[in-house]
Amino acid sequence: MMPSKLFLEKAAKIEKTINFENDSPTTCYMGGATPPEHMGMTIAEFANNPDKAVDTTIAYMNEINKLAPLDCVNVANGGFINVILTTLWLSRIKMPGRELPENSLWQVDEKKVMADEDYDLVINQGYPALQQKILPTVLDMKELGAFMEYNQKFGQINAEKYIEAGYPNVNAGAFSPPFEILCGARSMSQFFMDCYKIPEKVKAAQDAMMPSIIENMLNVVKASGGKACWVGGWRGASALVSPKIWDKLVWPYMKEMGMALIENGIRPCFHLDQNWDRDMERFLEIPEKMSIVNLDGMTDMRRARKILGEHTALMGDVPPQLLATGTPEQVYDYVTRLINDIGFKGLFVTPGCDAPANAKFENMVAMFKAAKEYK
Amino acid sequence: MSSIAQMISNLEDENVVAEVQKQLDSGVNPLDIFKECQAGMVEVGNKFSCGEYFVSDLMMAGAIFKEVGDLITPYLKGQGGASAGKVVVGTVFGDIHDIGKDLVVAMLSAANFEVIDVGVDAKPEAFINALKENPDATVLGLSCLLTTCYDSLKETIDAVTEAGLREKVKIMIGGGPVDQGVVEYSGADRFGRDAQDAVTVCKELMGS
Repeated sequence: MMPSKLFLEKAAKIEKTINFENDSPTTCYMGGATPPEHMGMTIAEFANNPDKAVDTTIAYMNEINKLAPLDCVNVANGGFINVILTTLWLSRIKMPGRELPENSLWQVDEKKVMADEDYDLVINQGYPALQQKILPTVLDMKELGAFMEYNQKFGQINAEKYIEAGYPNVNAGAFSPPFEILCGARSMSQFFMDCYKIPEKVKAAQDAMMPSIIENMLNVVKASGGKACWVGGWRGASALVSPKIWDKLVWPYMKEMGMALIENGIRPCFHLDQNWDRDMERFLEIPEKMSIVNLDGMTDMRRARKILGEHTALMGDVPPQLLATGTPEQVYDYVTRLINDIGFKGLFVTPGCDAPANAKFENMVAMFKAAKEYK
Repeated sequence: MSSIAQMISNLEDENVVAEVQKQLDSGVNPLDIFKECQAGMVEVGNKFSCGEYFVSDLMMAGAIFKEVGDLITPYLKGQGGASAGKVVVGTVFGDIHDIGKDLVVAMLSAANFEVIDVGVDAKPEAFINALKENPDATVLGLSCLLTTCYDSLKETIDAVTEAGLREKVKIMIGGGPVDQGVVEYSGADRFGRDAQDAVTVCKELMGS
C-alpha cells in the first residue's frame, strides 16, 4: 500500500527527532494495556485475541488523535504479549482470563526455571540449546507456533493497519541483553547471587548467548523494515546493580547490541526502566545522533539531557502513576515543564515505560496535548 | 566494627559464614554473634543510603544474613534480644510480585523487627487476620508493583478501617510506582522509596 503524505511526514519526523532537527515535540503513543478499559472490553479479551489487540489499540489511538495528534507509536501492539515477554525473560507470563482474573494485568511469574548446570549448557552449546530446554517449561509451545503462524499471515496486514491509520512505528522489535534473559530464567534473587558468586561463569554464558541474540534481533528488524529496535534494560538498571556488575555484565552487552544495530542501519532505542542516573554518561559511547534513550520517570531526564546534550534523543517520561491517579492539569503541567527544561529538539513525549492499564483517557490526551500546544 | 560485622558489610559471604561457625564452635554467646551480624546489616543499609551500595548488594547482604541466621538460630535456644517491634507485611491482592516485598522483609528482620509475612496476592482478609492474630503489630506494610493494584491497596486499607484496626496500626506502602500521590489515594500513612527506607519509615512510624 502507498502510505499517505501525512504518514510519510510523520515517519520523517522520527528521523528528524533522532537527529535533533524536529521543529516541535514529537508525540509518541505507548500503552500496551491502556485501550481495553476505555474501549469497553476486558483486559483478557484484549490480550488473548491479537486481532482485537491491534484493532482496539488503533481505535483508541484514533480517539486520542482527534483531540491531540499523535506523531508515532513507540512499539505497535501486535498481540501475543505473553509470547513476546516470555522470549524476553524466559519466564512464564500469567495471563488475564487464564491464570488471572479477566481484568487483571498480565504478570511475570518469576521462578527459577534455569538450573545451575544450565550455565554449562549455554556455554557449551549456545543460547538456542537453553531456549529449547526452558521455553517448553514456561510457554505452551502450541502458542509459540500460533504466534509464528499468525505473524506470517497477519504481520504485514497489521503493519499496514498502522500505516493506514497514519501512525509510523518507531521500534520494530524488542530484545533483551543476556543479563535480562538470565535474570528472568534464574529469578532475580538467584541471578544477583550468581553475579557475586560465579561472575566468570555468568560472563561466559552471556558471551555464548550474544551471537544468537544479535542474529535473531537483526533478522527480525530487517524483515520488518524497521528503523529502530528496543534494547531493553530492566533489572540491569544502575539503581539495582553494583558498578562492578554493571560494568562487567550489563553495559558491554547492551552496547554491543546497540552497535550491531547501528552497523546495520538501525537505531537502538535503549528502553530503560528504573533509575539509570549513575551510568548515563556511558550512553555517550554510542555514536552521536544514532540512538534513543527511553526513560520511565525514575531516571532524572533533565540530568540526562545535560549529560547527553544533542548526542542522544530522549524519549519519555510521564510517570505511570501520574497517568493513573493524576489530573489532566497535572499531566499537562508535567509535560510543559519537562519541555521547558530540556527543550523539544530530540524529544519524543511518551509515557514512562508504558502507560498503565488504568491510565485515565483524559490524562493520555493531556500528555500529548501539552506537547502539541507547546510554544 | 567487629570482624563479623565488617565481613557482612563487605559482602564477604564465605568468610562470614566460616567466622560465625568458628565463633559458635568456640562457645561465643550466639546472641552476641547475632548482634554483630545485625551491626553489619546496619552498615550495609548505611552504604545503600549514601549511594555506595545498590539493590543487588542489599540482596546479597540479605542472603548472607539469612544464611548466618540459620546457622545461629539452633544455638539461641529460645534466647533472643528485644524486638524492635512487630510488622505485618505482604503484597496486595492482584499482584504476585515478591522480590521487593522479600527485600523489605529481609531488611526489617535484620533491623530486629519481628515480621509477619502474609505473602503475595494477599486479600484484605489475610492482612486483617494477621493483625488480629498479632495484636502487638503496630505497623502494616503493603507492597504494590502494579498501578492497577492501587485500588487493591485502598481496599485493603479500607478493610483495616472497617475491622476497627486502623487506630492501632500505622500503614506504610511501597513498590515501584508508589509515591506520595498513592499514599493520599489509598489512605496510607507513609511510603518507602526502597527497602532501606522502609526500615527508616517503620522506625519513625513506631516512634522509635
